[in-house]
Amino acid sequence: MQLPLGIEVPIPTFEQFVFIQVALLTAVAGLAVVISRNLFHSALALTLTFFGVAGVYVFLEAEFLAVSQVLVYVGAIAMLIAFAIMLTRSMMYGRTSPLNNQWGKSSLFAFLFFIGLLAFARATPWPAAGEEVVADEALIGALGREFVTTYVIAFEVLGLLLLLALVGAVMLARDR
Amino acid sequence: MTQATAVAEAPANDLALTPELADAVVGTWAEDTETAYFIAPDRILDVLAHLRDAQGYDLLSNLTCIDYQGYGGKLRADVSERLDVVYHLYSTRRGGGSVALHVRVPADDTVPSATSVYPGANLQEREVYDLFGVKFDGHPNLRRILLWDGFNGHPMRKDWHEAYYEEDAKPFRSRHPKGEYAFHEDKLPWAKNTTYPAGWDPDSWQEAVAYVPVSQAPQHENQPHLDTESIVVNLGPHHPSTHGVFRMLTRVEGETILALEPEMGYLHRNHEKIGERNTWLMNMPFTDRLDYLNSMSNNWAYALAVEKLAGIEVPERAEYLRVIMAEFTRIVNHTWSIGFILNDLGALQTPALYAIEEREMILDMFEAVSGARMMCNYMRFGGVVRDLPEGWREQAAYLANDRLPRALDELDRLLTENEILKARGRGVGYLAVEDLIALSVTGPMIRAGGLAYDIRKAEPYGIYDRFDFDIPTLPNSDIYDRYYIRLLEAMESVRILQQALRDMPEGETLGGRGGYTLRAPEGEVYGRLEAPKGELGFYLASDGKTQPWRYHVRSPSYINLNALGPMSVGYKVADAIVILGAIDIVLGEVDR
Amino acid sequence: MDWLQLLVFPAIRALILIFVLLTGFAYLTWYERKLLARFQVRYGPNRAGKFGLLQPAADAVKAFFKEEIIPNHVDKPVYLLAPALALVPALIIWAVIPIAKGTPAIADVNIGFLWILAVAGIESYGIILAGWSSNNNYSLLGALRSSAQMVSYELPLGLFLVSILMLAGSFSLVDLVEGSRQWWEWIWLWLAFPFFFICILAETNRSPFDLPETENELVAGFQTEYGGMKFALFFIAEYVNMISTSAIMATLFFGGWKGPFAEQYIWLGPVYLLIKVLILLFLFIWVRASIGRPRYDQLMKFCWQFMLPLGLVYVSISAVLAVFLK
Repeated sequence: MQLPLGIEVPIPTFEQFVFIQVALLTAVAGLAVVISRNLFHSALALTLTFFGVAGVYVFLEAEFLAVSQVLVYVGAIAMLIAFAIMLTRSMMYGRTSPLNNQWGKSSLFAFLFFIGLLAFARATPWPAAGEEVVADEALIGALGREFVTTYVIAFEVLGLLLLLALVGAVMLARDR
Repeated sequence: MTQATAVAEAPANDLALTPELADAVVGTWAEDTETAYFIAPDRILDVLAHLRDAQGYDLLSNLTCIDYQGYGGKLRADVSERLDVVYHLYSTRRGGGSVALHVRVPADDTVPSATSVYPGANLQEREVYDLFGVKFDGHPNLRRILLWDGFNGHPMRKDWHEAYYEEDAKPFRSRHPKGEYAFHEDKLPWAKNTTYPAGWDPDSWQEAVAYVPVSQAPQHENQPHLDTESIVVNLGPHHPSTHGVFRMLTRVEGETILALEPEMGYLHRNHEKIGERNTWLMNMPFTDRLDYLNSMSNNWAYALAVEKLAGIEVPERAEYLRVIMAEFTRIVNHTWSIGFILNDLGALQTPALYAIEEREMILDMFEAVSGARMMCNYMRFGGVVRDLPEGWREQAAYLANDRLPRALDELDRLLTENEILKARGRGVGYLAVEDLIALSVTGPMIRAGGLAYDIRKAEPYGIYDRFDFDIPTLPNSDIYDRYYIRLLEAMESVRILQQALRDMPEGETLGGRGGYTLRAPEGEVYGRLEAPKGELGFYLASDGKTQPWRYHVRSPSYINLNALGPMSVGYKVADAIVILGAIDIVLGEVDR
Repeated sequence: MDWLQLLVFPAIRALILIFVLLTGFAYLTWYERKLLARFQVRYGPNRAGKFGLLQPAADAVKAFFKEEIIPNHVDKPVYLLAPALALVPALIIWAVIPIAKGTPAIADVNIGFLWILAVAGIESYGIILAGWSSNNNYSLLGALRSSAQMVSYELPLGLFLVSILMLAGSFSLVDLVEGSRQWWEWIWLWLAFPFFFICILAETNRSPFDLPETENELVAGFQTEYGGMKFALFFIAEYVNMISTSAIMATLFFGGWKGPFAEQYIWLGPVYLLIKVLILLFLFIWVRASIGRPRYDQLMKFCWQFMLPLGLVYVSISAVLAVFLK
């Protein structure tokens, strides 16, 4: 597509078009988490960010991961955050400043963290586009096999932890 | 009744007081069928405590006030101490009649509060304070109850004049926050000629919400390390659960109730003041509007009191008709209240609609005899207004012998063993029956606590001593039993109906002329009966004119609300709604 | 071609689906009111049209012409977003449900089961947003109750779903319906159905688990401050949810579109599915007409002390069955 001033802009394919939208959504929502003056709005923006990340997973043809992301982060974790905010009245309708006296230190750490991530991203050998990726059920099957072979200890410990959490929840719910 | 004269000085001996208390009685009516004892104001608590502990008068049934200013009769020539606070005590264990006590005070004087002896005096003393201005010393929560704080004066006093009709002023000005409006007073010639209580400003006035006694809050036994905050939640007056314009102020921690305060008066129309202006008979249709579900019982209670005052005889057939109508009414009320207890439990009206089907049949019967389904206005002094139409008795017999037993059995099968009803009702809203009586609660609630106190047996009126019926009782005093006792009582009512319809003789239905020109002889009377919701009493005083001097309704819905707070504390908000439903109130009777 | 394949065809399919579902919603209200009336010895709507069949249309017209009221004290954007957000999950859950042989409603994805769980997870957002933005105690309490209830009941629901998944051996609902099951598998599944149905009742906030909107305590719960069309959207969401969950239950437990001759005549598939959905909807309404509401703490206790252990036991036995019998 030819714009005035002779700038050449490539016509995006459908996938690119949608990807740009998803990426923008994620980034804007992430920004909103930080700058919103209302805590509950921040929590909602966080939920939106999680959705955006799930969308990115879909583009990576990792539907399983995408749906898990929605299930765990949107369905449970963000819900828990919203729940906690709603239970504390003073935080609920109050308008807080996004900056507190630690904003200097935390921005420094955020910057360092970003540098670290960048380094990781550059060091990772990304597969080139078009390369065959393992997808669909084979992928989930492979994931499952990894769980019960390579990572069996971690998997078992995690299972035990969750079981304990469940038992604890039941104990809390019982009559005193 | 003979002509009563001035106060006799001799203390009454049949009150059987101890020698130390003998001087507390300062007088009695000289000649009267209803004996009343005049007690010195500073000794009233001792006398009440003695009557309760030594003589078994455990139920403070009625507490009201009467203003003698301008009294035209011979009974009270001297009105220097113009206000009489009146107490009526009964014994639930022994049954039988009442002891009536008067405490005479000048206007604006204080009387010791009876709440320390009878906690049930709570709401009644507040009403007396509100309407008469008598202050009760030691009352825990002496606020206005039926009227709002900005109301100038105490309307039941004889020197209070009604706005626009007796006086050129309104008791308070219309209030509207902002926007397009027209004040009522701007359209009237009297304009803003408004009076307020002294030192009271309508614009700065704010209703106090902090009066729920937080001291009742239990210390956090379960989680001593948790710092929790209790909040005030307001249920009503516009709330689907409160059965009308009724309000419950609750202090809750989580969903557990720490304290609950009933607020009423939104439907208040000063029934009693209007009743004093009506002639004796004009009040008969007016009683229909009290508990509008049970107009027949209301009619009868009023007729009973007036007949007692004026000594009117009732023919045999009319007595049977009254019993039939009252028991039909009881079935109507109990099926209705069962339906709505279940409705409060979230059973989406299915049980209510099943119950209402039978109610419709009975209301048709009422319409056939009186011309109205709900506002029956059927009774007269000395009988009932007209005889039965053709075929009524057969239809009633079909209902009593066939249809109603089946319908009640169906409700029993449908509901009584329901698991959710048991889970929600068992053990919820418990209050020991002794506490209930101390709180002046009457009716199905105390029978659900195991005490077989029913005025039909304890002090039979009408012809109830002729019928063979039982007073069902249940042991647990919880919501479940309060539901079930109503079903059992409705079944007993069916038994009474069967007998009454079988035995009813032919004959006249109205002795005399029905009191169209009644001038009741001078005196006072308290007449009561077992209404479906509890003890319904009328306290009447006459100065021999065509209108009552004092017309007071002792309404069971209102006084049973004494128990709402104590019953709800410690349970969940959701339970409080069912507890209220199981008290079974009608706001027309609560607010009067 | 790219755009057509990826956007236009699915969009048309989705529009047809939405149209069908919204019509279904309208007549579900009629169905419910008629059935409830019969349970309660009444007639139900019978004035608008024959048998009251035009009643849904009348209701829709009424809802449209109601004044749009937005209270002053609400958080406006969130307040307006909430009803729409409530409706979306109820609609998108249909994407993976097979409606005829080899034909899912939108797409045959290999994660059908997870899709159901994920959508169930985001279902309560509409309610939470409504409750929070209304700035009203009753709304807030309703929203809190709703989210706690939904999150709790999702656990046993997920456990039952996982059991079915293990026995089916595939994430796709299309495969699930078309694959064959042995007789003991059917019996084992149907044993779980009553408990699954209880979880669904709690998930859809239907009576007797309608605690978030208990009229007697919370006025109208999270929707107290809503009126007109915005209220209608919540209403639609609840009813479409009923239809969707009924379809899911029909697919998981009763063979979905399957029935006699459905393999030969493909149009029979949706008909069978419709019949099964109608029967399950009858179950919803039957429960509503006849059962009272437990208290909120009883509801939660029931989930954590009964449903959850039961679900765990069911998963364990299913795993053993899947390994040794399949």
